[in-house]
Amino acid sequence: MSKSIQYTYFPGCTIPFRLPHFELTMREVLKKLNVELVTDEAHSCCPEPTTFPGVDIEAWFTVGARNIAVSESYNRDTVALCSGCFHTLSVVKHTLHSDDAIRERVNKRLKKIGMQATGEVAVKNILHVLHEDIGLKRIAKEITNPLKGLSIASHYGCHLVRPIEATLMDDAENPRWMEDIISVVGAEPVDYKDKMACCGAPIGPSDEDKSFKITAKKLRKIADSGADAIVLICPTCYTQLEMQQKKALEYLDPDFNIPVLYLGEMLALAMGMKDVVIENSRRYHRVKIQPLLEKMEAGE
Amino acid sequence: MTSSRTSSDLAFREWILQQPEGFTLLRCYQCGRCTSACPVAAIDMSFNPRLFLEKLILADESLAEERLIWTCLTCEQCEVRCPEHVKIPEILVLAKVRGLVSGNTPQTALDRARAILSQGRTILVSEPMLKTREKMGLPDLGEPPTQQLIKILKDLGTAERVQSIESRYGGVGDE
Repeated sequence: MSKSIQYTYFPGCTIPFRLPHFELTMREVLKKLNVELVTDEAHSCCPEPTTFPGVDIEAWFTVGARNIAVSESYNRDTVALCSGCFHTLSVVKHTLHSDDAIRERVNKRLKKIGMQATGEVAVKNILHVLHEDIGLKRIAKEITNPLKGLSIASHYGCHLVRPIEATLMDDAENPRWMEDIISVVGAEPVDYKDKMACCGAPIGPSDEDKSFKITAKKLRKIADSGADAIVLICPTCYTQLEMQQKKALEYLDPDFNIPVLYLGEMLALAMGMKDVVIENSRRYHRVKIQPLLEKMEAGE
Repeated sequence: MTSSRTSSDLAFREWILQQPEGFTLLRCYQCGRCTSACPVAAIDMSFNPRLFLEKLILADESLAEERLIWTCLTCEQCEVRCPEHVKIPEILVLAKVRGLVSGNTPQTALDRARAILSQGRTILVSEPMLKTREKMGLPDLGEPPTQQLIKILKDLGTAERVQSIESRYGGVGDE
């Protein structure tokens, strides 16, 4: 077997300590693809991009730059599975690289702990790794249980994609990389209205009502497309669209629901690792995924 | 309309323009595409990004006191549609920062900030969760280097400021 490709894994807070099945399933999927995630204890909270910058943007930037400096101590790319972490790190990296004044200002602070950041390290999300680095052809080789007969809607989430000059994604309004992966696993990618619409989660702390109204609108549009499931990447979007789905739908129509899969779960199912998904489904899924599994088996 | 403009207001505008991307404010010609793109504006007419930008262009600091600015999703739909690429969500973040001293910060935002500054993480890690990770065969992630965070943030006074602030919002915590 050829030598595995290594990435520095930026863990953040929510995935490792709230939704560890994200990390578990993606690690298993990456193992099949001969990719290894290496952790470094020196990383801290990214810090999270939806409220902390509004408390102290300079502190947000400084802590983010410290994480970038940690990543720059290795000769390999960094991947963040969490979209919030990815957003913070990619924006900080981009700004360090393009704004001399802020880079100098921040490096004065980092000097106190013997660090410095240049913004040279590559910061990636899981779509960069899967779609761009590994490639669809290589992924296709590992698909043993194609998800035939399933229609799946992609929810990218805002912070994975924007701002495009920092995230280096394919398109700010109509990204397609996740649909490509849905096709590779043998399912049907479904288009729906306002695909890039926000899940609503970021304003939960200030206005829960509005937050859930936005979530409900999103779920309605996805349901109207006839999708059997939603696949997504961001743990905050997951919390909102999956864990809080019932609460959100009380604002609209409590009589429907739609299963939600993390991208790693979808890939694990298609790569013959159903058990790792099912073992954790009771604890981390409130909307039953059983109908999906049944439909998947019927399609086989 | 801005008859009560003060020197503090002007200082606020100057500060925004000096921040990374803050100068993009001056590119706004009030076309309103931001508001028509905004998913919050679609359900609440009082949330109007075009108007927020107008206030800042006219150096009206009262925006920093408005609770509404904390209902920006930071989804960047406005920025994507803006013909001048004004960094609207980032400019609103600057208004939020300015509102901190008067308590215009949701309790959850303060709680998260305190957690980040004191333990290097937004959430408290429980023993059962560490056991779950172990059972899943996931690696030990250790303890974040909190002392280093304290050192690099010292000249900013963030920790002191965040400790001394009381939110004007009701206490809706994360969990």
